[in-house]
Amino acid sequence: MDRLPRGRHGLSPEFVARNQRQRLIAGLTQGLYEVGYQKTTVSLIGQRASVSKSDFYKHFESKDECFVAAYDTAIEQIRERVTAACEEVEGEQWPQRVEKALDALLRLFAAQPAVASMALVEGLRAGRGVYDRYQAAVDTFVQYLREGAPTTVEGVEIPEATAEAVIGGIASLLGRRVLAGEAEKLSGLFPEILEFTFTAYLGAEEARRIVSSG
Amino acid sequence: MDAISELSAEQGYEATKIADIVRRAAVARKTLYDNFDGKEDLFLSAINSTLTEMRVVVEEACERTNGSPGAGIIAGLEALLDFIAEHPAAAKMCMVESISATPSSARLYDAGMHDFVEILRRSAPSGKDLPQTIEESLVGGVAWILQLQIRRGEAEQAPELLSELSQFVLSPYLGVGKVVDTGRRK
Repeated sequence: MDRLPRGRHGLSPEFVARNQRQRLIAGLTQGLYEVGYQKTTVSLIGQRASVSKSDFYKHFESKDECFVAAYDTAIEQIRERVTAACEEVEGEQWPQRVEKALDALLRLFAAQPAVASMALVEGLRAGRGVYDRYQAAVDTFVQYLREGAPTTVEGVEIPEATAEAVIGGIASLLGRRVLAGEAEKLSGLFPEILEFTFTAYLGAEEARRIVSSG
Repeated sequence: MDAISELSAEQGYEATKIADIVRRAAVARKTLYDNFDGKEDLFLSAINSTLTEMRVVVEEACERTNGSPGAGIIAGLEALLDFIAEHPAAAKMCMVESISATPSSARLYDAGMHDFVEILRRSAPSGKDLPQTIEESLVGGVAWILQLQIRRGEAEQAPELLSELSQFVLSPYLGVGKVVDTGRRK
């Protein structure tokens, strides 16, 4: 995020403050992805954001507090992107909505690996009190997946835990790839993840048919 | 090692002090330091030993049943769920606390996941052209369900998840109808 022009610029103090805060959050997110939590110091965040250390402390009490804010920002960004994608195909069948949402999610992660890492890896690690937020975010996607989903597959009822298992499985797979430094390549997993998701709800044969027919 | 499993499961790794551990284990502080470098070393050893035990139990169960396709996986799942129910504190330490406690313990968790992915690959009925990543997604999904169960404090009821998890794990390989049959025949 670009810093604002120096000197007199006629921007309101609220605008400047909000912009600074967003830059600090972006600075922490990027720093975390590149050098890890330990080395992402308040000075480093400030440098990246072009915000002084004393201004940092006007926004956040500590690095941990900035981290939590950055985590929320990442999740919000993902949620917005997926919701927007779902709205584009409103009225369509369940498979089309799932396809669209997954595509939007993977594109976002591939374009912004630091955001992917924040959401998928950091949320579970290092006990900085965001686990509940991670779980809440996963739950949001579980709800999306359940909406309008088939209730039986090949004549058998689909178990209650399926949506959680599918979303948890996707999050875990993506997290492992991000840890392995392959965030940019996540889009490539699109057909495999789609087939995995459809298998649980439509059966393996049908899932393969839909995915391979593109 | 039992003491640190219990304490980290009850109050978290951070809050667990050496003094608590030696009191719970009823050993002298010196005994602890004679055997381990400190709290983290003890924690990592405890995770390692539980993960190994878990892996052995599951592998043996998978191999014991060489009957119908999928029976091995169901047996492996059953063994895993029973292990969690019998060792709730150790399971919580390995599957929940390890991820967030220290970077080294998170690496042990990742390595454990990797091992279970390999076990599933070896035990899975072959022949179908499934996505390369299917085992990772399935193991990740099972782990998530178990983590939710453990965090709710319901590790003892984990065996109740057997039929749902069997259907989830096996349906890509066998188709749903077949899975239900396999489960019934048991």
